[in-house]
Amino acid sequence: MSVLSLPAQVTPAPAAALRPVPWHRMIWVTWRQHRGMLIGLTAVYAAVSAFLLIAGLKAHHAYAAVASCHPAISDACNTLNNNFGSTYWTMANTTGIFMNLLPALVGAFTGAQILAAELETGTFRYAWTQGIGRIRWTIAKLTLLAVVITVLSWAFSQLFAWFYDPFLGRSAGLTVLAEGVFDTRGIDFAARTLVAFTIGAFLGMLIRRTVPAMAATLGVYLGLKLLVWLVLREDYPVAINTSGAVPLNTQQSAPATMPWILKTWTVGTTNWTRYIPVSRFWPMQFIESGWLLLLSVLLIAATVHLVRRRAA
Amino acid sequence: MTIDKGGSPIEFRLDPSSGVPTYLQLVQQVEHALRLGYLNPGDQLPKVRDVVAALTINPNTVLKAYKELETKGLAAGRPGQGTFVQASLTQVALPELSGLRRSMLGWLSTADEAGLDEDGIVALFTSVLRDFFKTRPEAHKGAGKTKGVA
Amino acid sequence: MNVIETTGLGKRYGKSWALLDCSIAVPAGRLAALVGPNGAGKSTLMNMTVGLTVPTDGTVTVLDGTPIGSPEALDGIAFMAQDAPVYKNLSVADMLHLTHNLNRRFDAAYARTRLTDLGIPLKKKAGKLSGGQQSQVALTVALARHPRLLILDEPLSSLDPLARQDFMATVMTAMTDDGVSVLLSSHALADLERVADYLIVLGGGQLRLAGETDDLLAEHQVLTGPAADADRLASQLAPVQDKRAGAQAHLLVRNGGPDAQPVPPSWEPHPVGLEELVLAYLRPAANPASRTSLSEVSS
Repeated sequence: MSVLSLPAQVTPAPAAALRPVPWHRMIWVTWRQHRGMLIGLTAVYAAVSAFLLIAGLKAHHAYAAVASCHPAISDACNTLNNNFGSTYWTMANTTGIFMNLLPALVGAFTGAQILAAELETGTFRYAWTQGIGRIRWTIAKLTLLAVVITVLSWAFSQLFAWFYDPFLGRSAGLTVLAEGVFDTRGIDFAARTLVAFTIGAFLGMLIRRTVPAMAATLGVYLGLKLLVWLVLREDYPVAINTSGAVPLNTQQSAPATMPWILKTWTVGTTNWTRYIPVSRFWPMQFIESGWLLLLSVLLIAATVHLVRRRAA
Repeated sequence: MTIDKGGSPIEFRLDPSSGVPTYLQLVQQVEHALRLGYLNPGDQLPKVRDVVAALTINPNTVLKAYKELETKGLAAGRPGQGTFVQASLTQVALPELSGLRRSMLGWLSTADEAGLDEDGIVALFTSVLRDFFKTRPEAHKGAGKTKGVA
Repeated sequence: MNVIETTGLGKRYGKSWALLDCSIAVPAGRLAALVGPNGAGKSTLMNMTVGLTVPTDGTVTVLDGTPIGSPEALDGIAFMAQDAPVYKNLSVADMLHLTHNLNRRFDAAYARTRLTDLGIPLKKKAGKLSGGQQSQVALTVALARHPRLLILDEPLSSLDPLARQDFMATVMTAMTDDGVSVLLSSHALADLERVADYLIVLGGGQLRLAGETDDLLAEHQVLTGPAADADRLASQLAPVQDKRAGAQAHLLVRNGGPDAQPVPPSWEPHPVGLEELVLAYLRPAANPASRTSLSEVSS
């Protein structure tokens, strides 16, 4: 018998004993591949935060003077109030609009590239043939990034809420329940950023190209935002129907606490009003963030499903 | 200039245009080296890994060549150590060689007179040579060896 | 033990079949060369063996019957796609660390030694390396996983001759040291006989020829003889290729094994080179007298 033969390959462990590659391995993988994106996002948030902090301190200072001015109806106090408005109102509006668009931008610039870039550059042929398997890879990556982005966004929105507080009530209906305000504080901003990220990731896998996916993400997010504004939010189970007077804060100087009147109708000789008081802010936040979170989870699941099914 | 001091006295080279299968070229080079005295019984043949890396050929090819040499009784593998030369090829005695030479010259002048040119002679010779070794009984295959010191 | 087994494997995109009715059984310990022109179905076949494409028809298993995409298959097979995809903004060292984290088994020492021997700096960004160096990095991280099967999709097509030799030397050495089986696709045929001991020929999405290289070469021969006698012999031996001039004919026939027929007296046999053989099987319609045997599978 000849001893001339190649080394026999070590027979691997039987099928049942093959342990999966541990989840924590994906922490380094996710960080190393996407640290540029995460650092970029942090830098943007940090830069804007610096601005909000500086401008916000000034605005708060000026507003404190206005608020403590007595009597409030006097000419001197009115002038002070008008000065405050002309100095800061434009800035407040601009930042407010920016804040409302920001989740869409975050989703487009973070989510869309995660899978689309791999498909575009062909690196998925490497990534999805490694031992860990594409499912675990996708779930771990998307979940880790989602958590980090959501936490960063939450922190940022707290600062913004503080910044914007002096401007509540400056125009009619500008309470914490107002469309452009509700979205930017509490846990809603974080939830919206989360859903935008998952929309981006899903569209990135569906469309397979980064730039089109980014554009689509912007569009889908804005469509969702409109849907919530115009249709859904009024139907959250927090509204109150009353036939009597709508409880208002009688203090003239606190229009920030005006309730949101949904509709009025007459039955016979009685006038009914359907409204949401400002005190329902947090229940509304939980309802909206709750279903946004659910939607995000579904989108991640849908993305994973696409990864499982589609490939080359 | 690279001098390979390790292991084997010989090194293989390939002629990709010769039409001869790779493993056969390796076998022939070993036999050739034996005849010329580059290789003697006890010498180590180049390690499979070295041949593979140097010539960029399939290791199975090298193994096949070494197996063929083993079958011919020219080499033997030692587990964990490599493949070593086991025998040398017969040196045909000098008077016999001159006798063969003379009879060959006779045949060549006959062929020349018949009108065959050099290429024609080579073609005829190759064809007859092939037929001869095809029909040669197996038992004679080992008759050309002398056992050397292993 | 077969590292790849397919039965009637097929893939359709829209109306056309990229691969049709392909049945092969590639034994372990070989370097199997998958050859054929561009668009012949080579990448499609490879993508299905590594789970990147789902078959339309038929079945494929790897590593002695293991299902595609299972943890065992992912663990035991290392794939290097065409153009050697690496993450361009990661350093070479990062690529090693990445592959380590994505697998159960990774021989970092082997990888570092190998790359240092090749003179590839570990700190350099992978995108800044030359094509040959990127290929070596991709190959190194694949081999460092100590796979049982290495699948390489057109690894040499964008490499210069020196880089090609370095690459193949690495592959061959890994076969020697590790006993890894290799499936390698190429549309170039030169130097194939030196490295490939198993051959799979695809043309137009169909299997044209498959078998051990030595057996295929031994079983085929070109018979040269009088054109007048060619029809008779052709009807007897069903040549793969039939080339005729006025007085002379060359018939490439498969005439080996236990059914081998003796060469008729007026005909001379010549051995066939690998390139000639592959080309003959890829060009069935060149001569109406010749027929390509579809699904020629050598057992």
